[in-house]
Amino acid sequence: MQNPIQPQAEEKGGTRIRRSLAFNIIGAIILLLLLFGLISGVIGFVSFTAAFKKEYAETTWHMADTATLLVNGDHLDAYLAGEEEEEYQKTREYLDSYCRRIYVSLIYVIEVDRSDYGRFVSVFNSVYNDVDDTEYKEWELGHPRDTTNDEYRRKYRAIYEEGAPYETVYRINTTDGQHPHITTMVPVKDSAGEVAAILCMQRPVRELEDARRPYVVKIAISTLLLALLSSAAAAVYIRRQFVGPIQQISAEATRFARENTVLEPLGEVSRLHEISRLAASIDTMESDMAESIRNLTAITAEKERIVTELSLAQKIQAAMMPHVFPAFPDRHEFDVYAAMDPAKEVGGDFFDFFLVDDDHLCLAVADVSGKGIPAALFMMASKIILQSCAMLGQSPAEILTKTNEAICSNNQEEMFITVWLGILEISTGRLRAANAGHEYPALKASADGRFALIKGKHGFVIGGMEGIRYREVDVQLEPGAKLFLYTDGVPEATDASGAMFGTARMTDALNEAADGSPEEILTAVRRAVDGFVRDAEQFDDLTMLCLAYNGAGEPPAAAEIHQTEKTEKEEDPA
Amino acid sequence: MTINKQKEGTSLTLALEGRLDTITAPELEAVLKEELEDVEALTFDFTALEYISSAGLRVLLSAQKQMNRQGTMKVTGVGEVIMEIFEVTGFSDILTIE
Repeated sequence: MQNPIQPQAEEKGGTRIRRSLAFNIIGAIILLLLLFGLISGVIGFVSFTAAFKKEYAETTWHMADTATLLVNGDHLDAYLAGEEEEEYQKTREYLDSYCRRIYVSLIYVIEVDRSDYGRFVSVFNSVYNDVDDTEYKEWELGHPRDTTNDEYRRKYRAIYEEGAPYETVYRINTTDGQHPHITTMVPVKDSAGEVAAILCMQRPVRELEDARRPYVVKIAISTLLLALLSSAAAAVYIRRQFVGPIQQISAEATRFARENTVLEPLGEVSRLHEISRLAASIDTMESDMAESIRNLTAITAEKERIVTELSLAQKIQAAMMPHVFPAFPDRHEFDVYAAMDPAKEVGGDFFDFFLVDDDHLCLAVADVSGKGIPAALFMMASKIILQSCAMLGQSPAEILTKTNEAICSNNQEEMFITVWLGILEISTGRLRAANAGHEYPALKASADGRFALIKGKHGFVIGGMEGIRYREVDVQLEPGAKLFLYTDGVPEATDASGAMFGTARMTDALNEAADGSPEEILTAVRRAVDGFVRDAEQFDDLTMLCLAYNGAGEPPAAAEIHQTEKTEKEEDPA
Repeated sequence: MTINKQKEGTSLTLALEGRLDTITAPELEAVLKEELEDVEALTFDFTALEYISSAGLRVLLSAQKQMNRQGTMKVTGVGEVIMEIFEVTGFSDILTIE
């Protein structure tokens, strides 16, 4: 139910990112192009203006220079004095027609006061107001005028004193309502080559504006077009090489996360090698993860199989041991209760009890070295051999000797087992027992006795070495007697600090519950062990067995234990 | 558990410290498998050994069996706790305890 919602949410997020990515890149491109257009426009504008001004000034210079040819520099003072009137009028006419012919606003020839260039007198003055829609009035001969503008004064001086071929004054960006124009000044020389006067020519520069405006418009339009085209191309490129492949990769990653299956690899989704590498990484990751998932699935299946088998093995092992209590409901002479609690699924401990015949009850508790499956297998074999030997009606020592030989003959792994085995003669209460390296049993020999360990001489463990002979112990059980058998898991149960439960705590627990039934006694010991161990992990198998002897229906006799060591099987292992 | 090895010619002394149980017994088994080949006199120093479980006894037993074929083996510094385990399991009969 979650799946249909999830991809939608992811797609929404993806779209938002895609939009902002494309928007940012295209926006940046447009901005850069506009900036580029602006800068190139300004540079073009400035250099165009500079080139135009230079060219215009030079042309005007040549025009003015030509005009000086019309003026006789030797007679200027004479004109001012009112002499040579005929020549003056002639020159004036030439200049007027020249002014009209070359289409300039003003031509004037002036003699400047050379003390500070602050005033001049006009000699000739041609005015042609139609050129630039001006309203100049012609200065008459000898018209005096002050020059307040420093730029003009500087340039007059340059022509008179520094031999400058011409000077130009620009009035292009005018603010006082005048039309844009330039004034070019050239020297008028006398026959000695000295500067006698200055000829000024004023020419409008409307052409500059006329040429410049279309240039700026062209730049603006071409920049805009370029920006539009580039951003369109960038959009297509980003979509095809960048956003598209990333979307594809993201969709594939999402699909893989959901399905965990490898389909067609992404391969070459983009010519950009960063994106290609990302796609390749996703492909590799998918195949690696799919491989890991396969392995994990196989391992999990294998583990489940082992768990299943272990639980089956545990059931088989539990079923091999007496597990129905009361075990002998029709026998009033005795009562037996036992329990095994393995540390792992299957254990190496076992207990067993069975009637060899009507008058003989065989009891055994054993502990295989090690734990887990190896111990469990060894335990099963040992238990079957032990029971088979016991059913032949032999004595405990003989049973252990035979079992040892059988196990030693096929014991590659050098495992061994400790066994306590006893046979109770029900009619008399006589218990004969042999011990192959097992823990000392605890016995309460009569109804009013106390539990104590039976410490007899031990034989070596079963399976350790061939040719071992075992000795027997005889114990007389009075009615009310109780026998407690256990494995080392009980005294060696360890608490968190590493201290062991020990046999002293065990016998104390037994004595506290001494009057209870075998089941109650086991429960009491178990409770004492748990109370001691607390949170520490159970490390060893925990196996206990308790026998209560009620007597063969005869009145209870006095407690009597005689513990004799038989001498018939004396041979000790060397 | 820590195992301190000391080898002089054909004699090897292994001093064990801590607990020799199901978890640590394989360590001792590995050391024995590696070192025991040319050894003629093997000595276990149990002075600092706190506890030995049936898994540890099994390693001792297989060492004893191997040394029966190629030399001698003895156990020294056996404390009260370990000695009781040896006696209960009958190992005191097959080991040379000094």
